[in-house]
Amino acid sequence: MSTAIEYFQFVLAPQMLIGLVLGVAVILVALGLTIIFGLLDVINMSHGEFYALGAFIALALGSIGLPFWLLVILVPLLMLPVGYIVERGLIQRVFHSSERHVTTLLLTFGLGLVMEDAFRLVFGPNPLKPETPIAGAIDVFGVFLPLYRLFLIVGGAVIVALVALVVYRTRLGAMVRAAAFDRDMAASLGVPVQHVYAGAFAFGVALAGLAGVLLAPIYSVFPTMGRDFILMAFTVVIVGGMGSIAGVVVAGLLLTQVQAISSLYISPVWSDPIVFGIMVIMLMVRPQGLFGRLGHG
Amino acid sequence: MVDALTRSMRASHILVAILVVASLIFAVIGVANGDTFYLRLGTEALIFAGLALSVDILLGYTGLLSLGQALYFGLGAYVSALVLMVTPSFWAATGAALGVAMVVGAVGGFIANRVRGVYFALITFGMAQVAAKVVYNTRALGASDGLIGVPIIQINFGFAAISSASPAGFFLFTLAFIVILYAFAAYLLDTPFGRLLIALKANERRVPFLGYDTVTPRLLAYMIAAVIAALSGALYPMLRGFVSPELLFFSTSGNAVITVVTGGVGTLVGALYGGILLTLLKSVVGSYTEHHLVVIGVLFMGAVIFLPRGLMGIVRPAIERMLARRMKS
Repeated sequence: MSTAIEYFQFVLAPQMLIGLVLGVAVILVALGLTIIFGLLDVINMSHGEFYALGAFIALALGSIGLPFWLLVILVPLLMLPVGYIVERGLIQRVFHSSERHVTTLLLTFGLGLVMEDAFRLVFGPNPLKPETPIAGAIDVFGVFLPLYRLFLIVGGAVIVALVALVVYRTRLGAMVRAAAFDRDMAASLGVPVQHVYAGAFAFGVALAGLAGVLLAPIYSVFPTMGRDFILMAFTVVIVGGMGSIAGVVVAGLLLTQVQAISSLYISPVWSDPIVFGIMVIMLMVRPQGLFGRLGHG
Repeated sequence: MVDALTRSMRASHILVAILVVASLIFAVIGVANGDTFYLRLGTEALIFAGLALSVDILLGYTGLLSLGQALYFGLGAYVSALVLMVTPSFWAATGAALGVAMVVGAVGGFIANRVRGVYFALITFGMAQVAAKVVYNTRALGASDGLIGVPIIQINFGFAAISSASPAGFFLFTLAFIVILYAFAAYLLDTPFGRLLIALKANERRVPFLGYDTVTPRLLAYMIAAVIAALSGALYPMLRGFVSPELLFFSTSGNAVITVVTGGVGTLVGALYGGILLTLLKSVVGSYTEHHLVVIGVLFMGAVIFLPRGLMGIVRPAIERMLARRMKS
């Protein structure tokens, strides 16, 4: 019995805690992705680059002396107009074609390529690491946990709760869900659908930027940083159900735990194939994911 | 009787003929100048054009966007490299690539064809990602280094032989190889089977009411695309002497999609022109700046917004009109 407790305390629990931090990080990135898909029906292939953009803006503003806590608020606000312009200027141009899924996917894929290379041009290819805003660490049930990671877990939970609150409990959220469910009906009832669409894209992009700010002190900042997360974020969105906030949270926690725990027993290099394998199987047997789409039941 | 599809295919044939003539002139100039670099670059462009061709069969005719065609390209390249390191025979290498691609394509097609639209794109993406990670981490396949030291081979036709080390010889061989792949695809898509695929793209629900099976044609289209991608990939180690896991990465699949979209979706020949255009662009822009992705990305976005039918969407209709006039008179 005591060996089981020790095994839990010294082997399983630390690994699960590492998985939890990663899980929160992935959820933050996937949240914007799932909102954009749920409402606009657009697969945003450049989402990882918007995540990187947030991190780079934070890095640039941080280097001129702005404090981290201001950046947490400022960067998402700066990302809003960027997302709005991208939606109105680029995505709307191909949004009404008959093959919307394919054309918007291709367009955002191209945008991602351009952004990634632009980062390399401006900031150079090497990883940059901002200072950790909260120093120190604490003991959680005998497990060493840096304070900033604890903050991330709590902060991530707060952000998810706030987003869910806005989407499900406010008038704005009701308009968004109405537009997602039936665009024409919502428009005829006076919902400014054009602005709701652009606004939702901007909101999703701003969430990616916020994730960039929050995760930069842990995972460093480099031009291809979006790629590492976006695969996992896509997997989470698919398994959870595209457009579902609850799905993102459940799938995000589940998959990162699978990854963390499986890497105890088999070589960690196989954890990625396992996670992608889960995604492929999920797409085969239940392509709509664990939960339904935003605004659909 | 000649209908619109046959006529558009003929227009594509004319454009391929123009491409072949231009390539022959290019080869003659290359040989006259004793060039190696540009001939090898041209060969590589043609090999990746073969991959793009397979993407166009799926996207342009079956309406399915594959974001993981690099899976089959890399599969062909690895199988070919492994066979060549045991026995330096072109026929054994391509034969093995063909066989393995058919088996893996059948399994992959079974998995991917269970879903449609955007889910198809993501499932192909996921499968390629799994394969890339597995190869990247398998020591027996050279892991992240890939397989190095694929020998130079003599491609033996019985009456003559071409060395894979000869720049002009292998360029011409690759040209012929890709044109045969094109001809095979073009022929197949003009048959009743090909028309069934186009019908599936237009309206999948109606096809069963007309008495046709939808599952088998879809699977076959996927397998044909897999085989064409693998056969193109099989040439890669002969050209470069190595294979690396990068061949399986998303950037390879993504490049093939960019090639097809800029060249012209649903034209087949667009994949070939697109491949050459993209390679040309990369080497020209690349000689000024290493940030050629910005330029290519912007051009690609421009093509998606302003030229949804791609380059061949402008050129081919003109040739089609010419052909139509000829047939009337």
